[in-house]
Amino acid sequence: MKTLWSKTYHWINERVELDGLVEFMGKKYVPVNSHSIWYYFGGVSLFLFIIQVVTGILLLLYYKGGEALAFESIQFIMSKVQFGWLIRSIHSWTANLFILTALIHMFSVYFGKAYRKPREITWVTGMLMFFLAMGFGFSGYLLPWNELAFFATKVGTDIAGAVPVVGKPMMVFLRGGEEVTGATLSRFIGFHVAVLPGLFTVLLGIHLLLVQRQGMSEPLSYEEESPKERKTMPFFPNFLLRDMLLWLIVLNLLAILAVFFPWELGKKADLFASAPAGIKPEWYFLFMFQTLKYIPGKVFVFDGEVLGIMTFGLGGLLWLLVPFWDRKSSRGERNRFINYIGLFIVLYIIILTIVGWIL
Amino acid sequence: MAESTEPMDTQENRRDFLKYFLGGGLIAWLAAILYPMMAYLKPPKQAEVEVTSVKAGKVGAVEKDSGTIVRFGNKPVILLRNAAGEFRAFSATCTHLDCTVQYRKDMGLIWCACHNGRYDLNGRNVAGPPPRPLDEYRVVIQGEDILISKKA
Amino acid sequence: MNRITRMMMGIALLVCVSANALRAQDKCLSCHEATVGGQPVEMFKHDIHHAKGISCAGCHGGDSKTEEMDQAMNAKAGYIGVPKGDEISKACANCHANAAKMKSFGSNLPTNQFQNLQESVHGKLATNGKERIVQCTTCHNAHGIVAVRNASSPVFPLNIVKTCTKCHADAAFMRMYNPSLPVDQLDKYRTSVHGIRNAKGDAKVAQCASCHGSHDIRNAKDTKSKVYATNVPSTCAHCHSNAEYMKEYKIPTDQFDKFSKSVHGVALLTKHDLGAPACNSCHGNHAATPPGISSVSKVCGTCHALNADLFSASPHKKAFDDRKLPECETCHSNHEIIVATNKLLGVTSEAVCSRCHSEAQNAKGYAAAKAMRSLIDSLENNEKKASELVNEAEQKGMEISEAKYKLRDAHQARLESRTMVHAFNEGRFREVASKGLVVSATVSAEATDALDEYVFRRIGLGLATLAITILAISLYVYIRRIERRQAKGVQ
Repeated sequence: MKTLWSKTYHWINERVELDGLVEFMGKKYVPVNSHSIWYYFGGVSLFLFIIQVVTGILLLLYYKGGEALAFESIQFIMSKVQFGWLIRSIHSWTANLFILTALIHMFSVYFGKAYRKPREITWVTGMLMFFLAMGFGFSGYLLPWNELAFFATKVGTDIAGAVPVVGKPMMVFLRGGEEVTGATLSRFIGFHVAVLPGLFTVLLGIHLLLVQRQGMSEPLSYEEESPKERKTMPFFPNFLLRDMLLWLIVLNLLAILAVFFPWELGKKADLFASAPAGIKPEWYFLFMFQTLKYIPGKVFVFDGEVLGIMTFGLGGLLWLLVPFWDRKSSRGERNRFINYIGLFIVLYIIILTIVGWIL
Repeated sequence: MAESTEPMDTQENRRDFLKYFLGGGLIAWLAAILYPMMAYLKPPKQAEVEVTSVKAGKVGAVEKDSGTIVRFGNKPVILLRNAAGEFRAFSATCTHLDCTVQYRKDMGLIWCACHNGRYDLNGRNVAGPPPRPLDEYRVVIQGEDILISKKA
Repeated sequence: MNRITRMMMGIALLVCVSANALRAQDKCLSCHEATVGGQPVEMFKHDIHHAKGISCAGCHGGDSKTEEMDQAMNAKAGYIGVPKGDEISKACANCHANAAKMKSFGSNLPTNQFQNLQESVHGKLATNGKERIVQCTTCHNAHGIVAVRNASSPVFPLNIVKTCTKCHADAAFMRMYNPSLPVDQLDKYRTSVHGIRNAKGDAKVAQCASCHGSHDIRNAKDTKSKVYATNVPSTCAHCHSNAEYMKEYKIPTDQFDKFSKSVHGVALLTKHDLGAPACNSCHGNHAATPPGISSVSKVCGTCHALNADLFSASPHKKAFDDRKLPECETCHSNHEIIVATNKLLGVTSEAVCSRCHSEAQNAKGYAAAKAMRSLIDSLENNEKKASELVNEAEQKGMEISEAKYKLRDAHQARLESRTMVHAFNEGRFREVASKGLVVSATVSAEATDALDEYVFRRIGLGLATLAITILAISLYVYIRRIERRQAKGVQ
């Protein structure tokens, strides 16, 4: 056993110099401090993404796109295919947990100012992946072709259509026509299983490569301490094994969620039925959805909805570019202003999500 | 810590013990993951999604002057073909007490066995207790396939 | 017109003081009587309007106070001659739609007749397209109008039938307006209890206007019509539930109350199911009469055809006929037909079978009734059990639409067996019932499988959790070990 293992290692090492990689890994250290817990969320997000890829591929084996069959094929997966219920429920639950962990990961990086020089590219790729994840969520939500998804997509693309100038063509592009129809479904399948995963993989590659090359960032306050007092832990095996321990727990949590709270399928979408009461988007869109509800129809000369969408768009852009305008953090100075903004946004999202959920 | 003062050999034993646990746990874990995945990959008894909910068969396979019950989601639909060869489809749930209606060639009517409710070939309740006509479904002929869908 | 109005006001003021004096002043009447004479003049003398002191000018315009023909019948004095078409009804409405004016004549007649007439089916345009089909005078006559209470009025209960049929029995006339409307209502009416009594001079029984209304007659398909399906019961009940009014006829007055509680009444009045029968569905419309003993099954059979057919072919048919028992009614009663439950069947004290089939006297029928009841009970119980299992499995998140679909067949078999009871043949009944029992059993089995699967999922999860927990704990211990080693190494 042992010899086979070392022989294989040797065979590969001769060709691609694995030694260098192992040495690099062995010398890599992860800082240990009171904020260490946040370092794990990136890894958990990665793990959830892997689960999504695996369960997604499995679902694709039985899923049939198209207005006539999408709903029925999910029904088929859930009732006829062995463990189909499990795979589908895990895929749906993981999608939500993935957004959640990615969100936590993003805010921990933000508050730790880990985006500051030299990690701007890591931040930007991460943010882009987060936007893609929302795209995954939005497109994947429609694929079962059930009533709720149908109307959520209708409302969602309607909102996209309200953007001035580019909105209308964008809506038509997303819907594959003027209305949400079977054509929209075909498109969303394309986005969900080909376009988005492709883009995501490229970004993920860059992101992970940079994390490995540059190591974990430490909060500004720790840089002031003397190097001797700064505790570290080897990335391999200590940190990686801890990561895996957490992944195991997350996997178990997913299985429990899938068994005890199986993801519902609902009623098949009927293009001509009237919308059921209380149509809501997925929870991670809820704060934006709720905000648009509260904005009055007209603000000065601007259309309220357009203004809301533009504000969110601009906010997202500023957020994406935070490493470039937060010069203070990059110089290694404290920037309380950034914390206040972040805190405000976190509170805003939490409060409006709760309000949207209850109302 | 207390363990560090233990003699070396007990620690080695414990390490072996731990290795068994790690290995065994890993195998059990792999089994717990791979078993559902393998079972999932095994083609189910009914190899494909039932398509009858919309595709009601081939035009050639349906006799003239006949009616068949087709499953549409969770509801039955009656597909009628009249003597002239035209297709029509209606909900097969009797509007009286939810029995399933059938086509009666001898009467030239849609008939409900439960209370003798009768509907004409336009789905209109013409005799017996049914209070409302049957809901009509749309029939589209696409090449040789008969497609049934909900009416707007 | 203005002048007429003012004049009428003057008349109104004076009418109470001296109607007689005014009548004497009606120069139109006196002059016409002397010169022209004829029917209108003679009839007007008996007219209620004449009695109230309204002159010819009241409708025809002009000045009734002058003897000079040129002045009296001058357009400047408001003279309009003989009103034509809609002008007739408008002339009547001048006063009859004006509450204050009507009051001044001491009348408390309603003032909405004109409006009602315009909205009624008779208010539609006539074939010439210029006037409405019916004017006030069509039913009330022009000269010689008397109160409805007056037996000589054309709209007096005993005369009204004749007045309406003037047009409604005239097929040629009716074809112009509604070719599909029958013209035999009078013939039918004369065969009804109402029609016979009316012919004998009973003014209290229902005639045309009692059910259809007078000025506000609407098409029977108009939801506001008094004879619209959902309104029929209350229209009939207007008299038939009035104990005081019905006293002399010595018939019950609780039919409406009973009907409202019946399966038919609930369907019609609460659920607005227009397919459900109203009074007239069983008793007839114009030929309203209680169905006879032999005809009751035909009446019920118009809707409940299968039950009636099965019954007619059953051994009960002859037995009931011999004993002069009304067929459906014997078991189901008449106005207060409640939803038939299984309780009706069998040999318990509530069951109707046991009224005739006792164990001692009719052992065979007793045994059959008992067997059928037990079959239908188990059919219902098994379907209920299967449906509960399906619901439970569904609530537990199991995909069980297939079994749910099959459950429909059990439901159908139960309903069919309920109908099949009326064949009163244990063999045929058993055949239908067993179909349902088989389906219920299959569905129950599938639902039980789904519930087992539900348990299996939890056990599977438990095992997987166990594996993960073992792995996680050993991994944790392993990490601790490595780190301790590393700590030692550093030291």
